[in-house]
Amino acid sequence: MTCKELEDNLLLYLYGELEGESRLAFEAHLGECARCQASLAESRRLHQLLGEHPVREPSPALVLQCRFKLDEALDQEQLGWRGLLRPWTLGPRAFPAARAATLLALLVFGFGLGWSLRPFAARIGPEPAMHNAAALTGADLDNLRISGVSRLGSDPATGDVRVRLDGERQVTLEGSLDDPRIQQVLVYAVKSYDNPGIRRDTLDALRARSEKPPVRAAMVYAMRHDPNAGVRLAAIEAVQAAAWDSEVRQVFLEALERDSNPGVRVASIDALSRHADEEVLPVLERLAVDDPNAYVRIKCAGAIRRLVEDESAR
Amino acid sequence: MDGACLELAGSRETGGLERAAVDETTLVRLAQRGDRAAFDLLVRRYDRNVLRLVLHVVRSAEDAPDVFQEIFLKVYRALPRFNFKASFYTWLHRVAVNACLDHLRRQQARPEVQAPADDESGSEYFHEVADDRPSLNPMQALRAREIRGRVEAALARLNPRERMVFELRHYQGLKLSAIGALLGSSEETAKNCLFRATQKLRGELGDLR
Repeated sequence: MTCKELEDNLLLYLYGELEGESRLAFEAHLGECARCQASLAESRRLHQLLGEHPVREPSPALVLQCRFKLDEALDQEQLGWRGLLRPWTLGPRAFPAARAATLLALLVFGFGLGWSLRPFAARIGPEPAMHNAAALTGADLDNLRISGVSRLGSDPATGDVRVRLDGERQVTLEGSLDDPRIQQVLVYAVKSYDNPGIRRDTLDALRARSEKPPVRAAMVYAMRHDPNAGVRLAAIEAVQAAAWDSEVRQVFLEALERDSNPGVRVASIDALSRHADEEVLPVLERLAVDDPNAYVRIKCAGAIRRLVEDESAR
Repeated sequence: MDGACLELAGSRETGGLERAAVDETTLVRLAQRGDRAAFDLLVRRYDRNVLRLVLHVVRSAEDAPDVFQEIFLKVYRALPRFNFKASFYTWLHRVAVNACLDHLRRQQARPEVQAPADDESGSEYFHEVADDRPSLNPMQALRAREIRGRVEAALARLNPRERMVFELRHYQGLKLSAIGALLGSSEETAKNCLFRATQKLRGELGDLR
C-alpha cells in the first residue's frame, strides 16, 4: 500500500470499516511509515476534539413535550377538515333524514355525557367546580371502570399534565402537577395500569414532584415491584430526583442485590456510587465477584476503585 | 444512564399489543390500515432515537420538536405507500435524515438567524449527566467549553450534506453503506462526502491542541 492509498483508506480504518486484506496492508504500511503514523495520530486527535461535542440524551420533559405535540397533530390529521365539513357540503338531499336524526342524537348524547363528566375534569382556573370537586379515590377510579390510561402528556406552554383515562367512559384530566388529584391519578397509574409505556411516562411526569411523600412512595414501589425492567429503570431515574436518605439508599441496595435485570443493577451502582458510604462498599465488593453478569461485575469493580481513590484523596 | 445499561434493560413495550410479541411488520400493516395504537407503538419504538439525532443536528431545543413532528407526520401520511422493500427503521431514518437536511438548508439560506449557543447552565431539554472526571479543574472546564464552541462552529460551516454524512458516521455510528442508502446514493459517494467534511474540520480545528 502506498501513502496515497493509506490516506484514501484512513477514514475507513478509523471507523472500523476496513477489513480483511486491506486492513492488513494498511497496518503493514503504517508500521513502516512515520509520515502516515503522524497522519493517523492527527486524525485521532481530531476525533478526540470532536468528542467535546457529544450526543446528549433528550430529557424526559422534552420527550413528553414532543409526544404531546405529535399526539395533537395526529389527532387533527385523523379527523381532518373534510370529515368535519362533508355532511354540510353534500346538502340536505344527499343526507337522509334518518342519518341526520342519528347525528343529532349523538350530539345530544355526547353533550350529556360530557356534562355528566364535569366533576372528573380537574381543570386549573377560577371555576368553582374545580375547587369543590371531591378528590378522586382509588374506588372512584375503579367505579369509572378504567381499563387503561391512553394518553399522557404535558402542555408545553403551561407545563400542565393531561391524562386520558379509557374505560366505559373516557375521562380527560388536565391540570398542574401541584394538583393533588392529578398526583393521585398518576400515582394510581404507576401502580395499576397494565401498560408499561404509560407507567414509564407517568414516572417521567412525576419526577418534578418527587419530594411529595405519596409520589416518592409510588416511585419506590415501582422500583421494587414493577414487572417491567424499563419501568424500573425509569423509576430509578425518578427516585434520584428525590432527596437521598436511608430509605432511598436501602431501595437501591435491594435493587443492586436482587433485581433480575442487569441494566437495573448497573443503574443502581451508578446511583449508589454518588452517595457511597460504609454500607455500600461490602455489597459492591461481594458483587464484583459473585454477580452472574460480567458487565455488572466490571461496574462494581470500577465503583470500588473510585470510592477508594476518593477516600485516599480526603 | 449509559447505552449499555439501556441495552441490558431490553426494549420497552407499550399498549395492548404488547402481550403478543408483535413484530414490526404486523405493526406496520395494522398502522397502514388506520390502527392508531399500532402507529403509536411504532413511534414509541423510535422516537427517542429520532429526537436524539434531530437535537444533535439542529442544535436548537426550540426547533427540535417541530422537526420531530414534521418527521413523524410525514411518516404517518406516507405509511400507506410503504412497500416493505426496506425495513421500517431504514425508511423512517431516511425521512428523518431528509427532514434534518431540509432544516439545515433552510438555516443556511437564512444566515441572519443565529443558532442558540450551547446552554451551559444545564438545559432542561437534555438529560444532564454530571461530569465526574476527577481531573477536570475549572481551567480545564473552560478549555473544554471553548473547544466545544469551536467544534460546533466548525460543524455548522459544513454544507448540509457534509454535515449530515459526518453526523451519521461519526456521532450516530452508521456504516457508510447504510448512510449511502439513507441518502439515496452510494457508499462511495458517502465516503467522499465524509472525506471532504473531515478535511474541512481538520482545517478549522487544526490549531487546537
